[in-house]
Amino acid sequence: MDAIAFQGLIGLSMAMYLWLISAGLTIIFGVLRIINFAHGSLFMMGAYLAFTFYGQLGLPFWLAILLSLLGVGLLGLVMERGFLRRIYGIDEAYQLLLTFGFILILDDAVKIIWGGVFKIPAIPPFLDGAWRVFGRPFPVYNAFVIAVGVAVAVGLWALFEKTWWGRIVRATASDREMANAIGVNVPRVFSGVFVFGSMLAALGGALGTPVRVVAPGIGAAMIIQAFIITVIGGLGNLKGAFVASLIVGILSAYGTLFFPVFELFLIFAIMAVVLLLRPQGLFAR
Amino acid sequence: MKKHFTALSVLFFFTLLLLHAAPAEAQCQLGVPAIKIGAQGAASGPHADYGRQIEMGATMAIEEINAAGGILGCKLEMKFMDDENKAATGVKNARYLVAEWGAHFMVGTDSSGVAMAMGPVLAELKRIHFFTHAATHRLTEELVAEKGIKEIVRVSVPVYQDAIVAALIFKDRPEIKRWATIGADYEYGYVAWNMFKETLRKYRPDAEFVAAVWAPFLTLDFSPHVAAVMAQKPDAILATPWAGEAVMLLRQALIQGVFDQVQVWWQAMGGSVDVLEGIASEVQRDRFKGKLWATARYIHNWPDTPENKAFNERFKKRWARLPNYSAETTYSALFIIKAAVEKSRSLETAKVIEGLKGMQINNPGGLRVFRAEDQQFIYNVPAGRVVMDPKYPIPVLGDLKVFAAKDYYRHPPFTPVAATK
Repeated sequence: MDAIAFQGLIGLSMAMYLWLISAGLTIIFGVLRIINFAHGSLFMMGAYLAFTFYGQLGLPFWLAILLSLLGVGLLGLVMERGFLRRIYGIDEAYQLLLTFGFILILDDAVKIIWGGVFKIPAIPPFLDGAWRVFGRPFPVYNAFVIAVGVAVAVGLWALFEKTWWGRIVRATASDREMANAIGVNVPRVFSGVFVFGSMLAALGGALGTPVRVVAPGIGAAMIIQAFIITVIGGLGNLKGAFVASLIVGILSAYGTLFFPVFELFLIFAIMAVVLLLRPQGLFAR
Repeated sequence: MKKHFTALSVLFFFTLLLLHAAPAEAQCQLGVPAIKIGAQGAASGPHADYGRQIEMGATMAIEEINAAGGILGCKLEMKFMDDENKAATGVKNARYLVAEWGAHFMVGTDSSGVAMAMGPVLAELKRIHFFTHAATHRLTEELVAEKGIKEIVRVSVPVYQDAIVAALIFKDRPEIKRWATIGADYEYGYVAWNMFKETLRKYRPDAEFVAAVWAPFLTLDFSPHVAAVMAQKPDAILATPWAGEAVMLLRQALIQGVFDQVQVWWQAMGGSVDVLEGIASEVQRDRFKGKLWATARYIHNWPDTPENKAFNERFKKRWARLPNYSAETTYSALFIIKAAVEKSRSLETAKVIEGLKGMQINNPGGLRVFRAEDQQFIYNVPAGRVVMDPKYPIPVLGDLKVFAAKDYYRHPPFTPVAATK
């Protein structure tokens, strides 16, 4: 019983990385109607920048995360203003081509800047160690990741439901012409949302730097999972992304415990079932 | 005086001409402008250091061979390509290197998955590939010994060492009974675990294999794998993810307190320089509590011979790194090519393979002996515990357990070992 609870908790910490990356993806889709295939690459850039600030320049971990968010936010701004903005009006296939192009460019860029070899900085001392949970040592780091993920979830809920900015964004998402007509600066909202979503991806990447692999290619590995989550939860639905992240994170951890031979197959099976029974996703309106 | 000066300058001019012409005189006796070596390895992603080490080892060997006059007067030329640890890329590169670039020989390849895909293609391309890292036994047992693909030659010790040496060491530790694996989710991980179980069972009928979990390439987080295995309370863990993934796996195991709970962690290929660099600070603080054991296909601190020490010195001078095993195996492969071509005086595949027969060659890693049945170079590598040694800046394998190669290499005729989970 303890083993099951412990594995669930580990799965919960895995779910939080997935939540951070899929939250940004789904917010951007919800408002801009852009499927950003390069979203995983922004996650990767967050990890690399955090590595540079924390692992190479020796800045405090918190500051390194903050700076990597700002760096990736800036990159997001350039992507939206310089490129995506030009293709909103045309066929969606071009979004795919453009954002896929960004995956290739960013993958090669990190190889040029940081080299192809993996990067691993030390764990910050205050996050090292373990607490006893269900009779076994549970890493403080994983608890920290859970705390950040939950805080982001609460923060996003408050932001979108309780603030003026959130109302503007929701209005733009549901009808951009109407929002424009009542005086919302839609292009500025688009940029703001894209930058914000990019920063969420970067947070996911930066958060894992001391305990997860940072290498070219992790962006592509993450984006596949993020898409599975948005398909299960419903594209553009934040609550759906949160619940689906929990489902995928926790069930794949249980898959590793109970069905290690076909654990990878499990989440694809869940996605297939959702697509068959509720193709719009669990939480789509 | 002036005349004398003119005569002198003419003489000088001719000397210069002669000097310049000298290399052309020592012409390539094989009638090619250069002997072309196509090299491949994983040069991007978590496993990238291996590809780099393959490139470093090959480059250094070529520089040394060329400086000493080449092979039968022929200079060597190399092209290195990143196979991205993907079978399709490895095959595509091999085709390009042979058909377009004109490689006479190929060396390298890290992943067993890539190697198994390349095997049949090599037969079709009719070029020898000297495998210097890929470790599945099936490459030589099935593709060479059984199917007769002579274009495959293996210079590095295969999975025998990761699996059979582990069993030979820990069969004598009666308190260690319950084994689990955190395996690389592909051919190499499966065969390492199956071969280990098969060998240990022979000596220790009481051994129990309590859990097996599998992590594919680009697993970013091994926490669920570690937690799942630890739920079964194993005495020892055999882990096969490698390179950067091994470093992450060990770190995630550390923060889950694994080294307080198990007796032994056997990290296949944990003796690789990139892994040792990655875990250096943890080893310095003794966080593995002396329980971390590792293998490698060559370790820089063994054998204790002048040749190996000289190789280490040259390598450090050239690259400012310690040589990893993929560097030594690839370096040695180049000297094997040299010996075989000099013996056969040909670049033709069939003749060069004839030239390999009966070869015994001293490399930095020690004596390598060619076995014709499965075309492997057999040599000895110890396994050991990961320790700090004041002589080196990074951890090394110490407390070395040396077994004779014949005791842990499998021998033809081969009985199949499953390559499945």
